Amino acid sequence: MRVMAFVLAFASAALAATPAAAQEAEALRRELEQMRRQFETAQQEYQKALQALTERLQRLEARPPAAAAQPATVQAPPPSQPTLADYARPREPFALGARRGPGQLLFDIGIVGDFTGNLTQRNVEKADRGTFAGRENRFFPREVEVNLFGRVDPYAEGHVRFEFAEEFEDGQRATQAKLAEAYLTLLTLPFGTRLTLGQVPVRFGLLSHLHREALPQPDPPQVLLRFLGEEQFRESGAELSWVLPTPFYVEALAGAFDGDNEAAFGRGSLRSPLLFGRLRTFVELGESGALHVGVSGARGETGDRLRSILAGIDLKYKHTPDGWRHPLLTLGGEALYSVRDALVADEATFAGDTRTRRRLGWYAWAEIQPWKRWAGGVRYDSTQFPVDPGREWAVEPYASFMPSEFLRFRLAYKHTERSHRDGFNVNDSSARIVDELLLQATFFLGAHVAHPF
Amino acid sequence: MPRLLRGILAALSSLGVLVAGAPADATVRAVASTPDLKSLTELVGGGLVEVDALARGNQNVHDVEVRPSLMVKLRRADLLVVNGLELDGWAEAVVQGANNPRLLVGGVGRVDASRGVPVLEVPAGRVDRSMGDVHPQGNPHYTLDPQTAAIVTANIVEGLTRVAPADREAFETRRREFLGRLGAAQARWTKTLEAFRGARVVVNHNSWIYFLSRFGLEQAGTVEDRPGIPPSPGHLARLIQQMRQERIKVLILEPWGDRKLAERVANEAAARVVVLAHTVGAVKGVESYLDLFDYNVNALAEALK
Repeated sequence: MRVMAFVLAFASAALAATPAAAQEAEALRRELEQMRRQFETAQQEYQKALQALTERLQRLEARPPAAAAQPATVQAPPPSQPTLADYARPREPFALGARRGPGQLLFDIGIVGDFTGNLTQRNVEKADRGTFAGRENRFFPREVEVNLFGRVDPYAEGHVRFEFAEEFEDGQRATQAKLAEAYLTLLTLPFGTRLTLGQVPVRFGLLSHLHREALPQPDPPQVLLRFLGEEQFRESGAELSWVLPTPFYVEALAGAFDGDNEAAFGRGSLRSPLLFGRLRTFVELGESGALHVGVSGARGETGDRLRSILAGIDLKYKHTPDGWRHPLLTLGGEALYSVRDALVADEATFAGDTRTRRRLGWYAWAEIQPWKRWAGGVRYDSTQFPVDPGREWAVEPYASFMPSEFLRFRLAYKHTERSHRDGFNVNDSSARIVDELLLQATFFLGAHVAHPF
Repeated sequence: MPRLLRGILAALSSLGVLVAGAPADATVRAVASTPDLKSLTELVGGGLVEVDALARGNQNVHDVEVRPSLMVKLRRADLLVVNGLELDGWAEAVVQGANNPRLLVGGVGRVDASRGVPVLEVPAGRVDRSMGDVHPQGNPHYTLDPQTAAIVTANIVEGLTRVAPADREAFETRRREFLGRLGAAQARWTKTLEAFRGARVVVNHNSWIYFLSRFGLEQAGTVEDRPGIPPSPGHLARLIQQMRQERIKVLILEPWGDRKLAERVANEAAARVVVLAHTVGAVKGVESYLDLFDYNVNALAEALK
């Protein structure tokens, strides 16, 4: 006992005399403990794997040995007819989840529901010339999209988007389902390049490629509607992206597509493809400000096999004060210049002639978001019509309320004026001046890809 | 027009050749998604590694805007260290925009720092958004437990070794030295908070469970009703009542949190708000991973007195 007390006293004295050694020992003990835990975790994983292999072996051994005993030259008996149970048994790829565990080797699924309400004057409804033509004074599913996306293999990823929406065509309203996007992206190409193939959103300008729920206001700007149509700018073909090895961000895009756009490029053939190019850069103005600048160009043919060229410049600025989770101020705008050949009939001789129409349109918006849940802003549109004479302008103040990241409500008032009645005087009603209330409700379910700046 | 286009393309190409053809550095270019991981990578990489971070210290690392300037950082990087567990899911969009195949999931330059970390609060059963911005793989704020640094730095060293195998020994040596210093510091932090073992605190966001668990403190509640969802008045009233009844003295807030709301709750409950650094660089003077705990331990001990 006295010996033990002596040893303890000696050890205590030694420890007190060498605090550095004690600290080092403590550190080593902790590291040892950490390694022990890692070892135990690995051991448990190996045990699980061994258990699984053992069970698999037992199942194999439990099978009748007849097949293995047969000589190789003996022909296998004809396959029996599959039973109902065989049909019901999950097979690849449906069995992947069950075999590997939930969430393994499966792609991501996301659903976005975007519903829009529109209130406007009776004459606008009668003329079917509101912002959402044919759906005036209605609350309707503007876009319910199902997104499926994920890695195909180490070299590529795939995206598929189905879209369900209430459409108005030929005087009829109907809910339509369509394949909105489906494309493959090759990720591992050299020199900082990436190739996208399939039916892709063409990244022309700031907003034309965005899904409707990602637009900053409930409706797309007038110039995009007039120059590119109500459908977004989606095309079948290939797009090459190159992020230049520069100290600042420069992305160059080039693409060749069929040309299926309803308004500007409807040729629909690779014999006369729609060619597209874009250059965009980005400048940080201190820690709070950031400016994005892009230029785009596209050249193709219309459905009448006539020349169509579109050029655009776009800007976006965001000011996010230090420590804020959202921007306080967002400014954005885009100008488009269209050169389009059009068939024009001479009223006197009724002879057709091709004329070149040069048209300009632009929009700009400002938005402030002083609180996380609330944002408000205003957009101004001004555009000529791509072929017809005249112009229209619109102003649209709006407010957004976002209870969470996955739910958003927007309310907007939009006033539109057109310089001509032509084209807007339908069914004995004029829609030259339009006042509308727009309500938008959007929800996000499941996986959702982050939107870049 | 074609001449102009050719001129622009030629200029861009020559610029690209100039930059790409510059002599290679002796260092590994690493980028970490968060400042914590940047600091840990610097600590094990030393002068052999040039490290940058995507998120800044004053940002909430859950919500980082995907700016093209972040893509530039990844465009030339050899290594990307991510937190994982869906804390920095936005980093995937940055990788996508950078066109750097080395940094893709499964790529040679990709490090998931959470691999092997004992994760807390992994939800059992069904998970959906009614639970708020919940992390299905568990609470992702593991770097706030200094004990996890051994695993995290092991993952980082493994990644660094993949891209610079010749420097493995140097990385290992620096890691051992760092863990030695961390162990000594942790003994000091434990001693500082020993007097408050078992104390119950309220937090703004559920990011402190690793820190509190490591030092023997208990999380009594959160100001956020559910992660990422602003609290309802009813939830706040219940929380204030609980704080009064249990005489909870401290409410921990991140610099990005709602200070006014936190102070209102604390005042109602006769408690005080203490702002702790949720990551390196979140408050002035917290420049490294060791500074992070020095600051947080001292600030919390002061508040609990």
